[in-house]
Amino acid sequence: MEFFSQTYVALRGPTGAPQTAADTIGKLSDRLSPATLLADRRAAVLALKGLARDCKHDVGDRALPGLLEVLSNDAEVDAEIGKAVLETLNILCDVEEGLSTSKEVGFKHTDYVLANEKTVHILFALLGDSNFYTRLATLQYLSTLLQNRRQVVQSYFLKAPTGTGSVVSVLEDKREVIRNEAIMMVQGLISQSPDIQKVLAFEGAFEKLFNTVTQEGGVEGGAVANAALTCVDGLLRFNTSNQSYFRETPLPPVLCSLLLFPPSLQNRDSAPQEFALQFWDGQKQANATLVVGIIGMLIGTKGSSAQEASAFTRCLVEMALASNAPTPLKTQALRLLPSNLNFPLSEIVLTPYMPVPETNGEEWDRLEPASALDALTELALHGEYNGLESAKRIKEGLELRAAAVSVFENFVRKDEIKLAIVQAMLPTEDTGPSGVPMTPLLHALITPPSSTSSLDSASVTSTHLAALLFSHLLRSSPRAKSLARLITPPPASTHPEHGAGNFFVPADGAPPPPPPHPEFDDDEPPQTLLHILSENLSLSFLSRSRASTSDRESREWDRLVVGYLCLLSQWLWEDPESVRDFLDAGGFGVLVEPINQTSEVDSIVPALCAFLLGICYEFDREPGEITRTTIYPILSRLSVDTLVGRMARLREDDRFKAVGPDSVVLPYPSASYLQPSLKPETEDEGEIWFDWAFVDFWKSNYYTIQRGLSTEPDQLSSASGQNAETVMLVASLRDVIRNQSEEIERLQRQLKDRSSSQEDELIALKKQVDTLSSELQVSEERRRDTEKEQEDLLVLLDEVTSKRKRDKARLREAGQEVSEDEGDDDDDDDGNSE
Amino acid sequence: MSGITWHYVLKFIITGDAAVGKSSLLIRLTDQRFLANPDPTLGVEFGSKLITIPEEDKIVKLQCWDTAGTESFRSITRSYYRGAAGCLLVYDVTSRKSFTNTRSWLADVREHADPHLTCILVGNKVDLCEGDLNGRRREVPTEEAELWAKEEGLLFVEASAKSGQNVEDAFVRAASDILSKIRRGVFDDDRSPGVKLSKPNGDLALEQGRAKQACCS
Ligand SMILES: Nc1nc2c(ncn2[C@@H]2O[C@H](COP(=O)(O)OP(=O)(O)O)[C@@H](O)[C@H]2O)c(=O)[nH]1
Ligand SMILES: [Mg+2]
Repeated sequence: MEFFSQTYVALRGPTGAPQTAADTIGKLSDRLSPATLLADRRAAVLALKGLARDCKHDVGDRALPGLLEVLSNDAEVDAEIGKAVLETLNILCDVEEGLSTSKEVGFKHTDYVLANEKTVHILFALLGDSNFYTRLATLQYLSTLLQNRRQVVQSYFLKAPTGTGSVVSVLEDKREVIRNEAIMMVQGLISQSPDIQKVLAFEGAFEKLFNTVTQEGGVEGGAVANAALTCVDGLLRFNTSNQSYFRETPLPPVLCSLLLFPPSLQNRDSAPQEFALQFWDGQKQANATLVVGIIGMLIGTKGSSAQEASAFTRCLVEMALASNAPTPLKTQALRLLPSNLNFPLSEIVLTPYMPVPETNGEEWDRLEPASALDALTELALHGEYNGLESAKRIKEGLELRAAAVSVFENFVRKDEIKLAIVQAMLPTEDTGPSGVPMTPLLHALITPPSSTSSLDSASVTSTHLAALLFSHLLRSSPRAKSLARLITPPPASTHPEHGAGNFFVPADGAPPPPPPHPEFDDDEPPQTLLHILSENLSLSFLSRSRASTSDRESREWDRLVVGYLCLLSQWLWEDPESVRDFLDAGGFGVLVEPINQTSEVDSIVPALCAFLLGICYEFDREPGEITRTTIYPILSRLSVDTLVGRMARLREDDRFKAVGPDSVVLPYPSASYLQPSLKPETEDEGEIWFDWAFVDFWKSNYYTIQRGLSTEPDQLSSASGQNAETVMLVASLRDVIRNQSEEIERLQRQLKDRSSSQEDELIALKKQVDTLSSELQVSEERRRDTEKEQEDLLVLLDEVTSKRKRDKARLREAGQEVSEDEGDDDDDDDGNSE
Repeated sequence: MSGITWHYVLKFIITGDAAVGKSSLLIRLTDQRFLANPDPTLGVEFGSKLITIPEEDKIVKLQCWDTAGTESFRSITRSYYRGAAGCLLVYDVTSRKSFTNTRSWLADVREHADPHLTCILVGNKVDLCEGDLNGRRREVPTEEAELWAKEEGLLFVEASAKSGQNVEDAFVRAASDILSKIRRGVFDDDRSPGVKLSKPNGDLALEQGRAKQACCS
């Protein structure tokens, strides 16, 4: 074969004497010149390829310029030489294999190749070549260059006369090997370059990539589907233009379909079982993680339609709360829910599932439908699958539960929702006090720590997480706090031990027997929640100090105490009435003791006790048995400096320091250097101490409390000037309101009196008017009658008079004498008056 | 997730020198806003809008790409030309240079775009010439641009992204022209790269992955 003979000649040298590698490489490099025959050049390239791995440095040194020339002149014409030269260059620029010196050489060669844009432009032009080997080797070489010096390649690509079209078309090359290689290359090409991302999207990269994903079997697909989804993610993330464009395509619903979730599922319809129950393995989980990540990115950025957002949210909610997806995927789904969650969690009905024991996850029981909100609360309180694995306290499981708590916090950020949930824990009018509802949250919260048997860590976690949930309901909501003061839970013992709500039963099983009707002791009023919590706190303090307690167990008691103290601090903050209730329940004494007996082991419990004590003092503003004046001397005896010192140590504790908005779960046992005997029970055991909301609350308020501790009892409020002012203002406004309302009451009374007496008068007057007017009418009538009579008489008189005149005239005519006296009456009168 | 409410999807590109107001025209079209100091890093370089073309009785979805950021490396802009049905070639009426440069932009378009691409020359920022009687700010006379557009077979309009004047009109005129080309059969079978006919229920009916059946007792 020509190739062998040529190489042989080159290696052996014309004289047959053995040569050094450097000599050979030099000779071969000379043959790369365009002056030699194509066949000779081809042979030389192949020979150099054979030497490239072992003599990377020398081959590069001598042959690189010639190789690049061959690439530029011959690769397009002769596929064989093209493939060989590309592969040789790839070896020379490779930085993956070998010693660090070899890597350095790889970078050096890369920089030489990338000294100008020429080679990169040739490579993108070669992508248009349909020859299998040319295309494949070009893609591989581009990937190598991108991996070594991404930004340089990208800037050359942006100036390449051709390229984008062929890049997108190789994404749908029918030959799988090429298509897969293209996806890998594009991953590098688009990385952190919005301009390249945009132009590839314009050229239809989304459609091509989704075609690949579906052809590969969606999330069931292997590494190729994974790479294609990674590309989709890369085109979208941090690129608002591409996100807007993507939303215009028919592709967003396909994301749901890839997870087997029907994108147009109505709120009233339930998710299909083929979505809820799937077989999962590592590859599928990795693929689904990418899909869920893209969905989360799209709902987390503005511009999605309400319809799209609601489908995506539903998909994530279903996956997290009612599916058998792997735990980390569920956690991811919850974390990606939009931070201003606007989803009707309490209206969506889910069907949760439970694995049938001993079936290795192959058979599942369908449980009673539950609202998404109930399922979320249940998940936080007890963990996945009704608390099946919660005793083990695996870190992953705790992460999921912490994520559920965050979603709950997010969901109840509106006051109305807080109030509605707290209200549901109060007796309604028609049930009366005996029908006090026991919600799963309330049940987990008040479950007393068992003081006899050793502590059940699953139940500690439930109570602790219940305290976190409950504090989200109360924090900075005065109205929720005052409602919560009225909660009087029924005795916890009357309820099943594992206080899950009764919606969590298998659909085909009978519901559990109703709890026996709680017997109320008529003498004692039912205890309030605040009272129960302070009792449980006291109980926990007692138990943790028992000598027989192991290190591990005493740590659990600490955790419980921390849970109660954090909740109480947030509850009593700025709420004098709750402070009053807590003090009346004997809370003060409970706090004082632990502050005094501090051990090296534990700094967070005394710190939190001091803080809560400070809150009690600061907000003890309601009249009662224990006033600020009572507390003040005790504070002095404990010494304010000591209290401040105790508080300061919290910030140094790893269990507090390590908490961030998204990192609540710590590996067990964190900050354990003080208790070397502590060992995790399982390899990946985790634990929770604080959530971010509390850390935030503490950081913004501890200073106010610290300064408040040294204020005189009669001083209105503490240090923080503004706060003092506010309290004073509120107090004076309260006075004003009280005075005003008294005044209003008085005026109203007067008004009422007055108006009633006026009414009587009015009635009397009316009556008078009535009689008067009827009298008037009678007299009027009478007057009218008289008038008429008079008139008649006058008429009669007139008639008589004229008759007399006529008669007299007639008599005169008849010559009889008639007296004139009457006829001259008037004249006579005048005369008479003279 | 989306019903079909338009007859055609038309891909548009907006091109021209930096700072002539390409981004501003796009934002004016899609959001009816104007930003005096647009943040160039904001990257709002895609927008879409439904417009009605009364004389064709059609609803058209315009998908517009602002080729921003690529002014300095022209080459990649060419990729956009190939895939577009319409092009807004923008200059700034107060910048002679931006007008002169439209010649080379046009040459690029001619070289790389579909021959039937509709191009409208847009003289932006006319608001700056208002009440400017002696034309101190204006550097490109309307008549000159209009004449050149006619010679080159381009549509022409003067507009202002700031006041909104003629902005939508520019797109509507270009879109009508494309629709009339479609009607006259200039494109064979909607084959213009930038034109898509909306199909009834045009969802990509992607087959679901072969999910193995899980069992439920
Ligand atoms: N007065 C006025 N200014 C404009 C107009 N359009 C854009 N501008 C301004 O011109 C500058 C460049 O605009 P921009 O949209 O970023 O240009 P682009 O680089 O082509 O995208 C910005 O300060 C805009 O506020 C217009 O119609 N009138
Ligand atoms: Mg711009």
